[in-house]
Amino acid sequence: MANHKKTTEDNLKGTLYATFGIGIIIIIVWAICFNLFIDRF
Amino acid sequence: MHIHKYEKWWLTFGAATLIAFLTIIGISAFHAGAHPNNSKWTIDYEKVDQTAPFDNPGVHKVEGKDWDYEVVLVASAFSYNPMEIELPVGSKVRFIATTKDVIHGFEVAGTNINMMLEPGYVSELITTVDKVGEFTIVCNEYCGMGHAMMYSTLKVVDSDDNSSH
Repeated sequence: MANHKKTTEDNLKGTLYATFGIGIIIIIVWAICFNLFIDRF
Repeated sequence: MHIHKYEKWWLTFGAATLIAFLTIIGISAFHAGAHPNNSKWTIDYEKVDQTAPFDNPGVHKVEGKDWDYEVVLVASAFSYNPMEIELPVGSKVRFIATTKDVIHGFEVAGTNINMMLEPGYVSELITTVDKVGEFTIVCNEYCGMGHAMMYSTLKVVDSDDNSSH
């Protein structure tokens, strides 16, 4: 098996994508839920 | 200390979302009033029927206050008094409610009106009923065998229709 050793740069980039990806999904789901309570008394 | 630029980005993103959500919670709680009962107004739950304003439950038109109507409501296993609330659309209403026995809920389904009614405490909520319709009021705190049968109705009616009756 080829040794694809990750560099520090790769790890940091992966963490960046994961943080932003999951974070944005959480924000979108939250916004959709929050929207249920808007425009009603 | 060296911080890589990617680390700076996600630290900024994380901190910004945390601040944003905490700000929203703060505004909802302190400005919009979305919080549990403040427990400042207490009552002897065994003497609810003899204690004002709960000795006269119902919808009352008021003058000289920031709101137009006061709805005084008493919950008990397994019903609400009054059974039906009728209000003209656009009126500002103060709901004042308590319970005579166990914990009950007061949720007007399809609206943001949602209070927990605890024995010994009076719960309040002020809102403007700005949509015509018939809304079911449900108990959303399990209160016993008849919990599922505990409901009431809020009718928001057109002012013109109301005056013609």
